[in-house]
Amino acid sequence: MSEQFEPKIVAFFCNWCTYTAADLAGISRMKYAPNVRVVRLMCSGRVDPQFILAAFRDGADGVLIGGCHPGDCHYQEGNYKALRRFHLLKPVLEEMNIEDERFRLEWISASEGDKVQKVINEMVEQITKLGPLDLEPISTPETLDEMLEKEQEIAV
Amino acid sequence: MEQLNTEPTKTTANAQKPFRMSVLVCAGTGCVSNNSFKVMEALQDEIKKHNLEKEIQIVGTGCNGFCAEGPLLVVQPDEIFYAQLKVKDIPLLVEEHFLKGRPVEKFMYTPPEGEVAIPKMSDIDFFAHQRLIALRNRGLIDPEKIDEYIGRDGYTAIAKALTEMSPAEIVQEIVDSGLRGRGGAGFPSGVKWQLCAKQDSDTKYIVCNADEGDPGAFMDRSIIESDPHSVIEGMLIGAFGMGASEGFIYIRNEYPLALERLHVAIEQAEKYGLLGENILGTNFSFKMNVVRGAGAFVCGEETALIASIEGKLGEPRPRPPYPVESGLWGKPTNINNVETWANVPIIIDRGAKWFASIGTETSKGTKVFSLVGKINNTGLLEVPMGITLRDIIYKIGGGIPNGKKFKAIQSGGPSGGCIPEDQLDLPVDYESLSEAGSMMGSGGMVVMDEDTCMVDVARYFLTFTRDESCGKCAPCREGTWQMHEILTKITEGNGTLNDLAVLEALAEVVKDTSLCGLGQTAPNPVITTLRYFRDEYLAHIEKKECQAHVCRELNTYIIHGDVCKTDGKGCGVCRRECPDKAITGEKGKAHVIDQQLCGKCGVCYDVCNFNAITIE
Amino acid sequence: MISLKINGKPIQVESGTTILQAAKQLGFEIPTLCYHPQLEPYAACRVCTVEVKNEKGNKLMTSCNSIVEDGMEVQTDSDAVAQARKINLQLLMAQAPAAEIVSEMAANYGVGDTAFLSENAEEKCILCGLCVRACEQVAGTSAIGFANRGKDRVVTTPFDVQNEACITCGSCAFVCPTGAITMDDPFGREVIHDEMTLGPDKAITVPFMQAVPNAPAIDTEACIHFKTDACGLCAEVCEPEAIDYSQKDEIEEVEVGTILLATGFKTFDASRIAKYGYGKLPNVITSLEFEKLSNASGPTGGDILMQDGSVPKSVGIIHCVGSRDDNYNKYCSKVCCMYSLKIAHLMAEKTGAEVYNFYIDMRTPGKGYEEFYERLLEEGMHLIRGRAADVSDWAMNEDEEGKLVIRAEDTLVGAVRRIPVDMVVLAVGLEPQPDAEEIRRKFNISCSSDGWFLERHPKLAPVSTFTDGVFLAGSCQGPKDIPETVAQSGAAVAEALALIDRGYVELEPNTAFIYEEECSGCKTCIPLCPFSAISFVEDKNVSEINEALCKGCGTCVAACPSGAAQQHLFTDEQIFEEIKGVLSYV
Repeated sequence: MSEQFEPKIVAFFCNWCTYTAADLAGISRMKYAPNVRVVRLMCSGRVDPQFILAAFRDGADGVLIGGCHPGDCHYQEGNYKALRRFHLLKPVLEEMNIEDERFRLEWISASEGDKVQKVINEMVEQITKLGPLDLEPISTPETLDEMLEKEQEIAV
Repeated sequence: MEQLNTEPTKTTANAQKPFRMSVLVCAGTGCVSNNSFKVMEALQDEIKKHNLEKEIQIVGTGCNGFCAEGPLLVVQPDEIFYAQLKVKDIPLLVEEHFLKGRPVEKFMYTPPEGEVAIPKMSDIDFFAHQRLIALRNRGLIDPEKIDEYIGRDGYTAIAKALTEMSPAEIVQEIVDSGLRGRGGAGFPSGVKWQLCAKQDSDTKYIVCNADEGDPGAFMDRSIIESDPHSVIEGMLIGAFGMGASEGFIYIRNEYPLALERLHVAIEQAEKYGLLGENILGTNFSFKMNVVRGAGAFVCGEETALIASIEGKLGEPRPRPPYPVESGLWGKPTNINNVETWANVPIIIDRGAKWFASIGTETSKGTKVFSLVGKINNTGLLEVPMGITLRDIIYKIGGGIPNGKKFKAIQSGGPSGGCIPEDQLDLPVDYESLSEAGSMMGSGGMVVMDEDTCMVDVARYFLTFTRDESCGKCAPCREGTWQMHEILTKITEGNGTLNDLAVLEALAEVVKDTSLCGLGQTAPNPVITTLRYFRDEYLAHIEKKECQAHVCRELNTYIIHGDVCKTDGKGCGVCRRECPDKAITGEKGKAHVIDQQLCGKCGVCYDVCNFNAITIE
Repeated sequence: MISLKINGKPIQVESGTTILQAAKQLGFEIPTLCYHPQLEPYAACRVCTVEVKNEKGNKLMTSCNSIVEDGMEVQTDSDAVAQARKINLQLLMAQAPAAEIVSEMAANYGVGDTAFLSENAEEKCILCGLCVRACEQVAGTSAIGFANRGKDRVVTTPFDVQNEACITCGSCAFVCPTGAITMDDPFGREVIHDEMTLGPDKAITVPFMQAVPNAPAIDTEACIHFKTDACGLCAEVCEPEAIDYSQKDEIEEVEVGTILLATGFKTFDASRIAKYGYGKLPNVITSLEFEKLSNASGPTGGDILMQDGSVPKSVGIIHCVGSRDDNYNKYCSKVCCMYSLKIAHLMAEKTGAEVYNFYIDMRTPGKGYEEFYERLLEEGMHLIRGRAADVSDWAMNEDEEGKLVIRAEDTLVGAVRRIPVDMVVLAVGLEPQPDAEEIRRKFNISCSSDGWFLERHPKLAPVSTFTDGVFLAGSCQGPKDIPETVAQSGAAVAEALALIDRGYVELEPNTAFIYEEECSGCKTCIPLCPFSAISFVEDKNVSEINEALCKGCGTCVAACPSGAAQQHLFTDEQIFEEIKGVLSYV
């Protein structure tokens, strides 16, 4: 029998709210699925759509963005920008046949450790059912320099 | 043509006489309430009927003064005086006297002692001894025609004041005249005027106190009803002298006729430019207001009067500050009585020296008195200060009716006191009356005879002051009530000697510690009756006796059986009338009163036609 | 200055002084009834009468309103004066037999009974007019006045009907010398519990004993002067003239480097639990109301009284009101058990009542607390382990008549019990202030669950927040008692001082920057910055970030189309590597 599929989920958590909530969940000994790999950013507004694409390209089965509740952003409006980008990116991903459940944006405040637990468990369960994301790999440049070289080639 | 005892005027010599006869009908409140208007109407109808309108002038004048004889009229130029006229008398009068020239004797005045009628007014005792200064125009002009006032030298004084005199001279004239306040206190008016004139203020007020609260007093009413312009002119002169530009006449609401005549007079004066802006073409302006009282005796007191005009509760405030310093709305205010103001124009006209030549050393001029009570000639009279009480009562007043004995004369209203027989030769002036324990007051004089109970008199006056007390200060509010209670007790036969001691002590304290004049003078009736008639109090207390038989509780009604049987033949009227069913008896037999049941109402005594019942 | 003699003693006073005031300066007290130093003299009672000699003789006059004159000779207790006072006081005694002050004054003049007739034995009003003048001059509303004349004179409202002009300030009742006017509770309560947690009972008071500054302040909502423009007595009597009505609330802008939030807590609103009857049943009070009752400077002077003024004989204390409750607040408020035991002890000591505690668990941690609890047990306090179900006034038997019955399951005994008590004290829990959410947004910090302000770390940083320079102290951060609050305050202040002391702040290193060469001048980033940290350099046609203003959110970085904008520590390259990194393991 094949191994149980364990999805890999990359989570971009904002430092002030969601990251702290996740911390709280940990201190509170809340149990949640270990599939989420957290990348800490200062603000959900830092999330560049490229990161999400990079994540899916590099093997993520799901991406989760966690930010402060609207109105509560530590930097005032960063989470609104994240929301805009999320909505703009969604249809693009759909075009690539990436299912809705794989890309998620959640507002989680610093005290909502239980929400972290719930969202992660839910997402993991859903994506497990969906199965792994099969994207055709393309050759990826390893370094930024190589990437630049390639572009210069195209330009010329 | 000289008028009766009034000051000759400068203008009558050249007066036009279009009528051959003037009929001056008294239209003062006394006569009006006795139908004098109807009499006037009847006169006018009769005159018309005989086509005499162009020959006979009918004038409705103010109070003539001889109120007991109203409705009355005087026919000029012959001075024929007709009294107690009825409407049905008029046709005969007109036909006989006006048409045929024959005065009608049966309508003339007949004195009580004599049988002979006295045709001429100046021959009648009542008028003969009077000297009219404040009442100079009474009975002679129609108060609702300003021209008639002017015709008798009206408004010449203000003209003189405005054009020939300075304000300081005017005030000095009043000082020199010795005029004293006629409202009751007798304060030298000139001094008051000086104090007011001295005040440095843009706004000053002149007030005329026409509240006349003394029961039975009608001097001020008569002056306003007969001659309102004399007051207006007086106030104008005062305003010019003291530097005021607005005046208030505070008149009690219970004088509707006086109010009406006042309004008419003010309107007419305004039309003639004698009130308002730039009077008689000078810089002097004066606005006159009329304020009505609301039925409180205490508002005759000057600080309470001020509060009333200001729209506040009518209660006095302590003085100082006096109204001349701080009165209406805090401004210097000079308040004088109606009679005082009425004297002012003639003083300016004739001069202070002339005025000071009348009266006594300390009390100059004349005083208007209302003579009422147990007296033959009830009415209004003006006499020079210094006349004796005896002369007033017997010469002018005609003595006590029904042959009764004189007991006392009460002067000064509820603030005054009673003066007995042995003081009757006192000259009437401010000081003498005060020394005797009474006061001049506003001029009310009530004559009492042997049928008056002095304790009851004191109680009666206390009833008035108790009801009129404003209630602010404890001695007056509580004291008048308590004094009244004690006096009632005494008149009901329940008084003790201790009550008398308490009454005396209380009277002194109320007098010394009350806040205003009302309380300070309310005990006067008690104090004077105790001084001169103490024996009556003691009789009431110790012997349970009221000699005047006024205090019913102390009366014992007895039927003299022999008289009843012989003269009355046991008519039984008293038995039927008795509300207590205390009389028993049969027709033809002497009747008897059961003293246990007798309620002492006195009805049996009143109804017995045979004098069978006496009071012990 | 005016020179006069009073009772033979010479004195010099300012002109305009009254005889009464001058006499007082010399030590002669003249009796008065209708006089009050702060009101215009009225001279109605005549009791202050004195004898004054002048050229006409001797005159009696009232001293409260008569101004002194040069050369005046005043006798304050001559025979005439004594007689006048005796009679006037007897008159007043007859008018108002129930006015004790008059009888007492009369007794000083040897008067026992009045010689005069009385009509109403219950009458107290002596018509002194103090109330009317107070209403006019102090309250400024003239809602009451005199009506009728003479013996019928009374103090009343216009037409004897309720007058809307009355502002219920109580000046009339305060100034009445005989107690003829009283201010009563419309429900007849002697002690009004539900007003206890409200403000002070006077318009000008020192807010509480420990207030800083310890000076009185005027509550403009309650002050008569601000309502009707009258009164102003406080300014009149203040000798250093320290009162200024024109002062307004000022808003000051203060630039600070650190902020300490110590906004405290509020008690749970016990009326939310309808079954305990708070606000409906009489004599159900909260612990805070008990504290005010028990305070010696409180409305009852420290006595524990029920609404009708009597002392309770049995008291029930219900713990965990609004705490440890799924329906209201789940947390334990920490301090209630200890303060309830304190209340129980005080109650028993002050009133001797039987005290019943209804509790779930008894939490008495730390130094001396368990020992205190044991002591109370020895003193005979009753403890019922069971959450009180309800409080009602329905009596099932004679013993419960007129009492409040607390129903609870006594879990140790295993039965439902009904305990009748006279008074119930609810141990209300602690809650964050209602405006905590609003405050925390202002200071850019977060709230933890249940609304308490969020500390940076529950174990390691209890006094600082995620926003640099903003510190927390006290129960705004979570329910705690006084020793803890004091400790936390010390810590917060220390940290704040350390920050101030240092003189500089360390900025986070994760600010954003722009590679000038890469920047195309598209200006996409500029409007995105909420801190206005990005500006456009015209001559170079590039955008530039001010490092001091930049807070390091990275929004501009994410938006930059050319990747010219980058964030220190969070560059695109670093994050790409991170993504690769986290996905690289299985």
